[in-house]
Amino acid sequence: MNLTVNGEAYEANQVESVTALLEEMGVGGRPVVVVLNDEVIPASSLSRCGLREGDRVELFRLVGGG
Amino acid sequence: MKQQGKVQDEWIVGGHRFSSRLLIGTGKFQDAETMVGAVRASGTQIVTVALRRVGRIPQEDDILGPLQQLGGITLMPNTSGARNASEAIRAACLGRELSGSSFVKVEIHPNPHHLMPDPIETFEAARILVAEGFVVMPYMPADPVLAKRLEDVGCASLMPLGSAIGSGRGLATAGMLRLILRDARIPVIVDAGLRSPSEAAAALEMGCDAVLVNSAVAASGDPVAMAAAFAQAVGAGRNAHRAGLMPRGGGTAIATSPLTAFLSVESP
Repeated sequence: MNLTVNGEAYEANQVESVTALLEEMGVGGRPVVVVLNDEVIPASSLSRCGLREGDRVELFRLVGGG
Repeated sequence: MKQQGKVQDEWIVGGHRFSSRLLIGTGKFQDAETMVGAVRASGTQIVTVALRRVGRIPQEDDILGPLQQLGGITLMPNTSGARNASEAIRAACLGRELSGSSFVKVEIHPNPHHLMPDPIETFEAARILVAEGFVVMPYMPADPVLAKRLEDVGCASLMPLGSAIGSGRGLATAGMLRLILRDARIPVIVDAGLRSPSEAAAALEMGCDAVLVNSAVAASGDPVAMAAAFAQAVGAGRNAHRAGLMPRGGGTAIATSPLTAFLSVESP
């Protein structure tokens, strides 16, 4: 399935849930926040939230900053 | 003679009480271990963090875990990277989701050359974020008029710059900071530009409630030792402010010891 992840084309295999996509990307279980088509998905809903062709996914995390 | 009370010298921001007057930024450190060591040595209770898109392969360690392990630390995500109010508001919401903290450092600097905060977009973002329930801490130009406007819309503190971010030029805005301090009814935190602990002490002596430093610690020779030095300087500056400095002389010397008749017998 073709998605846009962080602004770049991404061909995903695991799309039954956002959690599965995060696992595929190697960020499963890490503290990230997911924005799906401009909407913040609460952490508690990630495993229930499926993906569709053309979805835009953005992932953010906290890093060092002043 | 006024005696300093024994009650703990706390300050309040957004309804939260803090005793440390040193805020630490977590950027630019060589590694997470040094950052955590510096945060611990500083005794800080508020640290800033930034938001970043996750790459395909995570290259950096998560900093959230080590910071949370320290305990007693309030995270304050910043909105760095935002070029306008709407981007800052979006970043603030993501930062709150990730950190679980409603503190936000509103930081909008569209020009990468000087990184000066945009006063108009900062004001607009602050106004909306206050209404959304955030504890809003705006990084701002050292402008007393803007300071009053930000206070009026409900910001929790004011964070005027001492000089440009990361420049190490110290309290170049000292005159304007004094004007802000004169009228502010919310905490004033000097954010950005400090290089040395003596500058932090000077800010506290002047009456600022706290300082926020990052580069001065992270880019120093020994970040953990420098964090401790800043903590001491902030404490000294604050104590000096509370004690009250002596009046400035009028350009002539005033002796501290008797100058005449040192060999004569004291009159009874």
